[in-house]
Amino acid sequence: MYRALTLLVSTFVLAFSRGALNAADTPVDFAREILPVLSNKCFVCHGPDSRKKDLLRLDSFEGATRDLGGYRAINTSNPAKSEIIARINSADDSMPPEKAEKKLTPAERKLIQRWVLQGGGYTKHWAFVPPTKPTTPSQGHPIDAFVRSGFESKGVSFATEADKSTLARRLALVLTGLPPGPALLESYLKDKNKNAYERLVEEFLSDPRYGEHQARYWLDAVRYGDTHGLHLDNKRGIYPYRDWVVRALNKNLPLDQFIEWQLAGDLLPNPTMEQLVATGFVRMNPTTAEGGVIPAEFQAKNNFDRTETLGTVFLGMTMICSRCHTHKYDPIKQTEYYQLMAFFNSTAEGPLDGNKYEYAPVIKVPSNQSTWEAWEAFKAKQIKLVNQAEKLKSELDKKWAKAGRDERFQTLAKPDQHLEKLQKEASDIAKKITDAKAKFTTTLVAKELGKPRETKLLQRGEYNLPTGEALQPDVLKVMSPFPEGAPRNRLGLAKWLTSSEQPVVTRVLVNRIWQRVYGEGLVRTPEDFGLQGQQPTHPELLDWLAVELQDSKWDLKHMLRLMVTSKTFRQSSALRDGVDDPENKLWARGPRFRLDAEVLRDIALWASDLLDPHMGGEGVKPYQPAGLWKALAHPASNTKQYQQDKGRMVYRRSLYVYWKRTSPHPMMTLFDAPSRESSCVKRSRTNTPLQSLSLLNEIQRVEMARMLAERLLKQGNTDDERLNLLFTLLACREPNDTERDACGKLLKSMRNRYESAEKDAIELLDTGEVPRDKSLNTTDHAAWTQMAATALASDLALMLF
Amino acid sequence: MDNMNPLRESELMITRRQLFGRAALGLGTVALADALGPSLLANSAGQVDGTHFAPKAKRVIYLFMSGGPSHHDLWSHKPKMREMFGKDLPEHIRDGQRITGMTAGQKTLPVCPSKYKYTRHDNNDQGVWVSDLLPHTARMAKELCVVNSTFTEAINHDPAITFIQTGSQVPGRPSLGAWLSYGLGRVNEDLPGYVVMHARSKFPEQSLFNRLWGTGFMPSEHQGVLLRSEGDPVLYLKNPAGVTGRDRRAQLDALAAINQEQYRQFADPEILARIQQHELAYRMQTSVPELMDLTGESDSTFELYGQEARQAGTFAACCLNARRLAERDVRNIQIFHRGWDAHGSLPKEHESQCKDIDQGSAALIADLRQRGMLDETLVVWGGEFGRTSYCQGKLTETNYGRDHHPRCFTTWLAGGGIKPGITYGQTDDYAYNITDADGNAIKPIKEKWTPGTMHIHDLNATILHLLGIDHKRLTYRYQGRDFRLTDTNGHVIHDIIS
Repeated sequence: MYRALTLLVSTFVLAFSRGALNAADTPVDFAREILPVLSNKCFVCHGPDSRKKDLLRLDSFEGATRDLGGYRAINTSNPAKSEIIARINSADDSMPPEKAEKKLTPAERKLIQRWVLQGGGYTKHWAFVPPTKPTTPSQGHPIDAFVRSGFESKGVSFATEADKSTLARRLALVLTGLPPGPALLESYLKDKNKNAYERLVEEFLSDPRYGEHQARYWLDAVRYGDTHGLHLDNKRGIYPYRDWVVRALNKNLPLDQFIEWQLAGDLLPNPTMEQLVATGFVRMNPTTAEGGVIPAEFQAKNNFDRTETLGTVFLGMTMICSRCHTHKYDPIKQTEYYQLMAFFNSTAEGPLDGNKYEYAPVIKVPSNQSTWEAWEAFKAKQIKLVNQAEKLKSELDKKWAKAGRDERFQTLAKPDQHLEKLQKEASDIAKKITDAKAKFTTTLVAKELGKPRETKLLQRGEYNLPTGEALQPDVLKVMSPFPEGAPRNRLGLAKWLTSSEQPVVTRVLVNRIWQRVYGEGLVRTPEDFGLQGQQPTHPELLDWLAVELQDSKWDLKHMLRLMVTSKTFRQSSALRDGVDDPENKLWARGPRFRLDAEVLRDIALWASDLLDPHMGGEGVKPYQPAGLWKALAHPASNTKQYQQDKGRMVYRRSLYVYWKRTSPHPMMTLFDAPSRESSCVKRSRTNTPLQSLSLLNEIQRVEMARMLAERLLKQGNTDDERLNLLFTLLACREPNDTERDACGKLLKSMRNRYESAEKDAIELLDTGEVPRDKSLNTTDHAAWTQMAATALASDLALMLF
Repeated sequence: MDNMNPLRESELMITRRQLFGRAALGLGTVALADALGPSLLANSAGQVDGTHFAPKAKRVIYLFMSGGPSHHDLWSHKPKMREMFGKDLPEHIRDGQRITGMTAGQKTLPVCPSKYKYTRHDNNDQGVWVSDLLPHTARMAKELCVVNSTFTEAINHDPAITFIQTGSQVPGRPSLGAWLSYGLGRVNEDLPGYVVMHARSKFPEQSLFNRLWGTGFMPSEHQGVLLRSEGDPVLYLKNPAGVTGRDRRAQLDALAAINQEQYRQFADPEILARIQQHELAYRMQTSVPELMDLTGESDSTFELYGQEARQAGTFAACCLNARRLAERDVRNIQIFHRGWDAHGSLPKEHESQCKDIDQGSAALIADLRQRGMLDETLVVWGGEFGRTSYCQGKLTETNYGRDHHPRCFTTWLAGGGIKPGITYGQTDDYAYNITDADGNAIKPIKEKWTPGTMHIHDLNATILHLLGIDHKRLTYRYQGRDFRLTDTNGHVIHDIIS
C-alpha cells in the first residue's frame, strides 16, 4: 500500500512540478530556508538523535539519499520521485504523521518540494560555517551599507536622524547607563564642529561609568551573585571578580584575553593577581552544602552547569539536551558534551561549598577599585625603587672600588644620602603594602588539580552511571577542531574559543553587543544560534561584524564606536508610517526600549544628586521591605537577616546592590533582572502594575524624588526654570506646551493640597534617611516632590528613545 | 511627529503582544495561540477561554508543606511496623535505596513505627486511615483523594523542592505557578493572577527560594506575587506617608498626559500599555486592602477556620485569604508552610506543624463546598518528599526522627474534578516502597507510567489537565527547545479524575 500511494502521489507531483519548475528557478537556500524547517518538524524522529537504527535520517545528505529499499527520501537522479515529496503531500499517510505535535504548513511543503526538485542539496548550518568578511555593498559606514541593502526590496529608506538632544541621551544611556550631565549636554548642543558627535562618543567611552554599565550584561551572562545560590544560600567571597570585569572593560582589555583570563588565567605562565581574579568565572556556578548530599552528585551537577553556561555564553547553543542524549536538533553528540565537560572536571575545589565564604581555592586581593589602583601603584613603586637602588648600588660600588682608604672611611662614616632616601621610601612603601594586605579580601579562583580527574559519559546524565572509556577533553567538532599544539585543559579551550576558525563565538559576542546598543539582536535568539534559533535579520552584517571583531584585535570599544556612529543608530526611533515592521527587523528606525532595572534606579540617584560615585567593594544593601529574606531563609543561613546599609552605601550604583541569588532585591526583579542562578543573555521587558506601585511608592524612589525636588528648587528660580531643568535631566530637552500644562496642573493641585496640610507635607519630606533642607518652603518642596516622583515614573525616565 | 495612524497602531499592538508573549491584557491566550495556531483566536471575540479543552477546575489552591511531611505519622497506617519496633529495616525492603549522608553513617536503620493513633474514616470507597494529628482534615475524608504513591527523584531539599515546583532539580526553569499564569492568564484585572503566601511556622527550618514561584526563562510578569502578612500586603502597595489616594490620582493624570505625549511623538504601543498598568496599579491599591479586610467575615467563618485566622500570617489566615482570592477569580494560589523537616524531634515538631495547618486546610475545603466553589477549585496538599520508615538518631517510644524519603509519600487532592473520597496507590508494610495491587514492591520510573503510581511529573500533568491544559502542548521555546513543565514525561492520572 505504501508503494501504491507513492505512485499515486507522484503522478500528482509530476503534474504539479510542471508548474513548480518555474518557481524552482529561484534557488532555495537550504541553510536558511529548509534546515530550520527540517529541524523543527522532522528531526524529532529523523534527526541526529534518531532512536531507531534503520530509520531515515534527514540531518545529512547521505542519510536523505540513502536507498530505503528501492526508493529514496531524496532521489537525486529523479527528484520528482523522491519519497519525501510523496509523503509530505500524502493525505492518509502523511509526514509528519497525523499524531505529530508539529505539522508542516502549506508554504513549508511547497518550499521543501521546490528544494527537492532542485536536487535536494545540503549545506552546513549557517552558524557553523566560519564567517568571512563580505565586501560592503557601497561606500560609507559599513553597517549602514548592509542595512541599506536590506531596504532595497522593501522600498524603504533610513528614517530622519533623531534630534541632537535625543541622540545625546540615547548615546549616553547606551554607553554609560546614565544620561549626559546638563553641562556636557549644553556644550554638545552648542558644538558646531563636524565631529562633535564623535567627540561625545569618545567622552562616554572613556568615562569610568562606561565599564560599570557594560559589566552588567556580562554579569547576567555569567550568573554573577554574592551568594552560593543553593540551600542556605550563604555569602560567597567573589565580588573582586565583579570589580575586575568593570576594570577590564574600562581598560578595554581585548575580548580574547578577557575570555582567556576568565577561563584559564591560572594556567597562564606566572599569572598576575588580576588574571587569577578573572578565573572567578569558573567558580560562578551555584553550589550547595546541604546536609546529606553526595559529593559525586554535585561534582557532576557543578560541571553540568559550567558546561551549559559555556554553551549559552560563548557558543549560543543549548547544551542541556546532550547531557542525557545526543542533541535532537543540533549536531552535538552526547560524548561531545562530556568531552567538553572534561575541561572543567579537573578544578581543585571540592564539590560542596561547606557554606563557606572562603570556599577554597581562594586568594586575597584588594577590596575595591581605589585600593586596587593604590596596590598597583605600590607594586610599580616597588619595582621602581629596586631599579633605582640597583643603579645606585652599582655607582657606589664603582666609587668604592676606585676610592682610597680615606675616602672609603669617609663613605663609611657618612652614609649616602640617596641611598638613605631610597631606604626611607622603601620602608614607607613596605609599610603601605603590609597595611594594604591586611585589608585584602577573599575571592574564589580556579586552580587545576595536579592529576586530572577522569571524565566518563554519564548515562541519562546520572552521576552514578558513568559508562565507557575515560574521555579526553575535546571541543564540538561541528564548529572547528581543537587548536593544534594547545594544551588539553581550560587554556586550550580558551584558545579554541578565540581561534580565528571558530565560527560561532565572535558572532555570538557581536550579536549581544548589537543587542545592548539597539535593544534587540541581529539574531533575536541570542541564546540560540543552533538549528532551532532564529536567522539573523542581516546575515552579512553579522558576519562582517564578527570578522571585524577579530580584525580589530577583539576591541570592544571599537565595535561599540562603530555601532553608535552609524546612521542606523542615529535614526529617529519614532514609528514610521508606511514601514510595516513592528519588530524593527529592517532597522529602519532607531532603538527604543524600556531601560533596565539598574538604569532606572541609577538615573534617579543621579538626577537627585544622591549617587555615590565610589567604585567596587562588597555588595551594598539599600532600603528593602522588612522580612523578605527571613521569610525564606534557613535559620542557619548567614543571609537570613537583611541588614540595610547606612550612609553613602545606600546610594551606590545599582551594579553594586547585593545579589542574593534566591531572593534578589525586589526593585531589580520587578523590572526583569534575572536571579543569576542561571545564565541570562537577554532580559525580558515586561510591563506590570507592580512596577507602577514600586516606582511611586518605594522608599528610595520617594527619597530620590524629594532630593531631586530640592535640587530643582535650589537651582531654578521659577517653576518654568525648574521644569526645564527636570526635563533636561531626564529627557535632555525642555518640556513642550502639553507637558508644561500637565505639570503645571499637577503642581498647582499639589500646592493647594499641601498648603493646608503641612503635617502631610512634612511626613512626605521625611521619607528616607537623608535629612531634608528645612530652609525650603515645605509646601513648595512637597509639591515639587510629587512632581519629581511623577516625572521619574514616567516614560521620560523609563524609556530610551 | 504626526505620522500616526491609530487604527494601524492598535493592530500593531496586537501583533506585538502575540509576538512577545505579553499577557498584560489577561486571559493567557498567548500561550495557547502558540500551541493551537490562530484558529482559536479567530473564533473568539475577545473572550477566549484560555484552555486546550473543557477545564474541570477554574483555579488551583496549592498547600505546600515544605520540608517533607512524614507520611508515616499522618497517612500511612502500618501496624506491622509496630511489631518490628527498633529492629533493623530488612535489607530487601531498602533494596539498594540511596540514603542521605545524614543517616548513611548510622550503624543500624531501626524500624520506627508511628506513635500516633490511626482511625479509619469513611470515604466514598474503602475508607481512609488518618492519624490523630489531622483530626479536622480527617473529617473531610469524603472530599479527599489521598495518593499514597507519590514519588520523586531527589533526596535533598533544594533539588527536591525545586523539582516539584519547576519540574527540574536545578534552578532556571519556570515554576508551576508561572506555567499556569502563562497558560491561564488573569481574570480579575485588579488583582495579581498568581498569588503566593508564606504561612508562619514555629520551625521554619528549611529554605524557600524565589525560584519556586519565579519564571526562569519566561518573561518575569508571570512570577508569583507575594501576599504578605508583614508590611504592605503586596510590595509597595501603600502610598508614601503624606500622600493620599486623591494625590495619587492627580499624579497619575499628569503621568498619563506626559506618557501620551511620548506616545504622540514615538507611537510605541508599549507606552499605551504602560498607561494601563498604572491604572491597574491604582485599582489594586483599593482591591488588595479590600481583599485583606476581614471585617466582613462572619463569626461562623472564624469558627470554621479557627480564631487563629484573625491573625495575619497564620496558615488559617492564609487559607481564608485563599478562599477570598478564589471568590475574586484569582486562578493560581499557593501557600507555603515550612518546618516539616523532622530529623530529630519529630513528634514535637509535627504536632505543632499539624496544629498550624489542620483546621485551616479542612476549613478551606468545607468553606469552598458550602459556597458551591469546591467543584471548580482544585486543592492540592503535599510536600517535596516523604520520610523514612527507620529512625534517624535515637529511637524511643515517645521520640524519634526521620530522614528524607523520595520513594513514596502522600499527597492529597480535592475538588476541581478530582474523584472525591478515594485513596490511590499502595505501599508495602513499611511504607517504604510503592506496591502493585498484590502487594509486591515495584519501582516505577518516570518514563513510563505505572498504574497506581504518581511521579511528580504525573502530578503536575494532572493539575494542568484539570485546569484544561494539555501538559504536552503548553510549551515555551527557549534555546531552541520547546520546554514543558513536565519535561519529556508526565502522565495525566485519569483514575483520580471524576
